[in-house]
Amino acid sequence: MIPTVQALAFFVEIGPLVAGLLVAGRVGSGIGAILANMRATEQIDGIESLSIDAFKFLAVPRVVACVIALPLLTVLMDFSGLLDGFLSEFFSSRISFQLYITRAFAHFDWSNFIPPTIKTAVFGFIIGTVSAFFGYTTDEGAAGVGNSNQ
Amino acid sequence: MSPETTSAVIFDRVSKSFGPKQVLHDVSFEVPAGEILCILGRSGTGKSVTLKLLISLLKPDHGHISVNGTEITSLKEAGLTKVRCKMGFLFQDAALFDSLTLYENLALPLHRLTDKTHEEIDSVVDDVLRQVGLAADKQKMPANLSGGMRKRAGLARALVLEPQVLLADEPSSGLDRITAAEIDELHLKQKSERGTTVIVVTHDVHGARRVGDLFAVFDEGDLVAFGTASGGAE
Repeated sequence: MIPTVQALAFFVEIGPLVAGLLVAGRVGSGIGAILANMRATEQIDGIESLSIDAFKFLAVPRVVACVIALPLLTVLMDFSGLLDGFLSEFFSSRISFQLYITRAFAHFDWSNFIPPTIKTAVFGFIIGTVSAFFGYTTDEGAAGVGNSNQ
Repeated sequence: MSPETTSAVIFDRVSKSFGPKQVLHDVSFEVPAGEILCILGRSGTGKSVTLKLLISLLKPDHGHISVNGTEITSLKEAGLTKVRCKMGFLFQDAALFDSLTLYENLALPLHRLTDKTHEEIDSVVDDVLRQVGLAADKQKMPANLSGGMRKRAGLARALVLEPQVLLADEPSSGLDRITAAEIDELHLKQKSERGTTVIVVTHDVHGARRVGDLFAVFDEGDLVAFGTASGGAE
């Protein structure tokens, strides 16, 4: 039962959740900080003075990157969790890898994998958009950079 | 001003507020082509806002602004692009794009706003970097440049489009006297060799006297003095 429950838990909820939290914390704050710093140092004004749409130039690629990266990271999380589960089981019961994988996916369906993974693309869109918005619209100055990270 | 002199910049009763704070109040002035205007005043009196209105980073609440005969206040983005092609802006901290090398910083406006080939862009960038004394540093990142080098790099980026109007926001702030004088010389060279109209916001009165043909003094959003040094602007 353990391999089955583990696989379901990771693929359906834990993998997407952990991937989303990691990206929100690490990447989201980074996007906000970069854009806020660019606003504070007038780099965004510099881009706009060249008649470049600064939001399209700076924010959209970052949002697209988050949308693409999160599902990929989620798959990595899922299989990392599965591997860790196997190692834990191996050290306690000496179960073979083949048996572990067979049991893990015995009651597994594509509907346990595809929708939860695709929903992380939505997470990525939200993370990218929110962090880009707060970074792009920050008040100028060091305090503004700090505030946009929160 | 003689009838033959054309005005590169016309500010006509321009007002600008940010919320309850009025930054500019009914400001009017004209800058003839090929002259250097130095804008002076205390901090927070609307000097930098004036420059940002000229390049349309901000829109005025009231009034009209013309640059090289084109009324820019109501222009859409396509029209503004044509005007900006002939303007250069040196930001207070140079505003170099810190993920690009010095070469890429200067090449970006040329890629975006002109049809020049790669070879032509190389040639223009090399020429401008030579003018500002940074030819050997074109592959450096902005973080690896000193303050004076960053200012000169920012000026170089403003010059790559061979601007007819050059706007400089406190170009000598944070610099030693020698480097500040070098920046002033570059402004004078632009005026004498290319007939560029230069508008400089500065706190450096000595530098302003050295380069300025006209002077504008702002106080709490009002233009309280405008003219030549001998004409009483001082």
